[in-house]
Amino acid sequence: MTGYVLRRLWQSAVVLLGVSVLVFAIMQLVPGDPIRLALGTRFDPDTYEALRARSGLDDSVPVQYVNWITSALTGDLGVSFRSGETVTSLIIERLPATLSLAGGAILVAILIAVPLGTLSALRPRSPVDWFATLSSQAGLSVPDFWLGIMFILIFAGTLGWLPSAGYTPLFEDPLGWAQHLLLPAVTAGVGSGSILTRFVRSSVLEAIGQDHVRTARAKGMRAGDVLRWHVLRNALVPFVTVGGVQLAYLLSGVVIVEYVFAYQGLGQLAFQAVQSRDYPVLQGAVLLFAVIFLVINLIVDLTYARLDPRISYRSSR
Amino acid sequence: MARTGRQRGGRGLAAVLAVAVLAGACSGGEDVDVDGEGGGDGGEGGSAGGTLIAAISAEPDQFDPHKTQAYASFQVLENVYDTLVVPDAEGEFQPSLATEWTTSDDGLTWTFTLREGVTFHDGSEFDSADVVYSYNRIIDEQLANAFRFASVADVQAPDPQTVVITLSEPTPALLSNIGGFKGMSIIPEGAADEYDLATEAVGTGPFTFESSAAGGVTLAAYDDYWGDAPSIDGVEFQYISEPTAALTALRSGDVHWTDNVPPQDVESLADDDQVELGTTPSVDYWYMAMNQAKPPFDNRDFRRGVAFGIDRAAVTEAAKFGAATVNQTAIPEQSFWYHEYAPFEHDPAQATDLIESAGAATPVQMGLMVTDEYPETIQAAQVIQANLAEVGVEVNIEQEDFGTWLDRQSQGDYDAFMLGWLGNLDPFGFYHAQHVCEGTSNFHSYCNPEVDDLLGQAATETDRDARKALYDQAAELIADDVSYLYLYNPDVVQAWAPGLEGYEVRADKAINFESVRLPE
Repeated sequence: MTGYVLRRLWQSAVVLLGVSVLVFAIMQLVPGDPIRLALGTRFDPDTYEALRARSGLDDSVPVQYVNWITSALTGDLGVSFRSGETVTSLIIERLPATLSLAGGAILVAILIAVPLGTLSALRPRSPVDWFATLSSQAGLSVPDFWLGIMFILIFAGTLGWLPSAGYTPLFEDPLGWAQHLLLPAVTAGVGSGSILTRFVRSSVLEAIGQDHVRTARAKGMRAGDVLRWHVLRNALVPFVTVGGVQLAYLLSGVVIVEYVFAYQGLGQLAFQAVQSRDYPVLQGAVLLFAVIFLVINLIVDLTYARLDPRISYRSSR
Repeated sequence: MARTGRQRGGRGLAAVLAVAVLAGACSGGEDVDVDGEGGGDGGEGGSAGGTLIAAISAEPDQFDPHKTQAYASFQVLENVYDTLVVPDAEGEFQPSLATEWTTSDDGLTWTFTLREGVTFHDGSEFDSADVVYSYNRIIDEQLANAFRFASVADVQAPDPQTVVITLSEPTPALLSNIGGFKGMSIIPEGAADEYDLATEAVGTGPFTFESSAAGGVTLAAYDDYWGDAPSIDGVEFQYISEPTAALTALRSGDVHWTDNVPPQDVESLADDDQVELGTTPSVDYWYMAMNQAKPPFDNRDFRRGVAFGIDRAAVTEAAKFGAATVNQTAIPEQSFWYHEYAPFEHDPAQATDLIESAGAATPVQMGLMVTDEYPETIQAAQVIQANLAEVGVEVNIEQEDFGTWLDRQSQGDYDAFMLGWLGNLDPFGFYHAQHVCEGTSNFHSYCNPEVDDLLGQAATETDRDARKALYDQAAELIADDVSYLYLYNPDVVQAWAPGLEGYEVRADKAINFESVRLPE
């Protein structure tokens, strides 16, 4: 087990290095100049040259990369061209909002997907099943920005129950935190929930058809116990896989939802970095997203072994 | 509604793109009286104290006034920093940190007397050394606004209350250069080493900078402010980009003020009694420019044909839903620098003749570069496309993100583009670099020696009326040659909670909350 984890971490380091090279290369290919963007159309050649030199953009690309990776290895991700703040502090500033939103959204997704998916699998072609299929189709088709705006108009506007925008830190004001989180979390969670509902339905259906479930039923096990011990547990493996990917996706910032609700998270940070060609911030954000995906995938793989005793990660040669 | 009695601090403007100086504007606005005691026009008396919550539509990039060029940053900094002089609502420069100034007969030496008893938010005394330090920081480090000091040879502090600026040539635009917006703020001597100015601010303005987080900024009233202390306790700026969220927050009372009002909503909001709407014509202008390094756009007749072929009223309606004024020159009529001149009316027949006489095979293909950074350029382009199709020009709309757009502009890799210059005060700022042959913002390769000559004379002409006469002549040539094809001046549109008093919508879009009183 430990050997497996170590091997995976080593692989992750290689992947991260590859990602960083790739992002750096892509940034060079994309048109757009961070200094011109910062100065706008008011273009003064002397100022432009001075700012370029100061930002290290006059160095050759390989030199820029080596400079960046050397500092990155010591934990220094550089300074934003746009804001003059360190990339690390920008990311840390926005991490709580993103963690809240991703956590809230995945919770909403699970609360939708598990009951709905299970019920519809247990009663195929029943009204419940129809409802689940239709609503997950609708949830997937409705664009985030539209759903978000509708929630704002209804729950913040007409009903006035919840604030329409902003983020309050959890430890400053727990109630405000929850109020500000609810609408964005539901908006972001609906899409993931719809995807997960379909996975829960199909994997529960598959598990129900297994021989051992029929055997359990035949020996007179109660329906609830069959569901809990033989069906759901087996259905969990694919669910965890897809759920992990959904969580990683939510953690990498839900740009549209963050925009609509003025919820300043990592998605907005990365989006602004792309728009202003803020290479250091973009580089830092992408690296963080890559780490998130790698870590979550590792956790998902390790969870398999707990869910299904047949899977094990002994370090075999 | 004359505003008298005291000098008002903190004004200015900031522009994503442009800039500059003197001028006027602003009379038709539904402004609110600012200095009236408990003022307002008939509203119930505002309450003292409380924190004003303002939703601004973009996020500041940073708070170093000498480095940022972002309008969102200046919306905040306007309330925190001061400059030596400030433009009033009409664009005339008034005392701020300087109480008076004199100019030598040759126009080369400007002597400023500084206000006494001013302290920075960190408690230190304001004096001439701070001015010298601030200006030299911009010049020596070649920061974003260094070009505004292009004609400044030297900044000296003969005594603590006096600053002397020596120029290499007369510069009538100097006041606008040093006071047109908060990019020229005075910071305490040594502040760049002592503070992290990107995330902190130490000014002399009516509010102190308390804290900044990802979602907003908090300011607090500064008790030792040199002017009248604000009646509110502080201001909280929130960044809300989505207009529905901002307007909903305004209606539900979560915020008191916002600039996030899409032009298409102006009409419906005017009848909404949950929202107070303020508009005034801005000093921004939006224009189209054709690349005169490329045929057939180098042909004056062709460009004049295009100018006759465009229905400016329709373009303006599509871009701003009526919240703008059509104009064939740069600056709106509220400004001192306005010059009434409109040689082109929408005339497809004449347009076709001119375009055909230019000799290019019709239909002429013309790429029109626009950007999603400014959605109004995309809406306007569609009308331009339809207009010009009738006169033998096939417009291909090229929508780019702003980074790519700027790249193509500076490389001359385009046929035509549409953009705006924002916050125009002094004509030096909105004519010179754009229209002289070697101008640093002349990306469309316009060159008319007569215009160069006029703009050159105007730049150093110290008599204001003589200067205006020169600019008027230049403006006619610029319009006739279609260097820029001017389209419209948009309105500034802002909205606030009913009962909020003492706020004034300004033509230069400076946001100042020092005199505001909250609703009961």
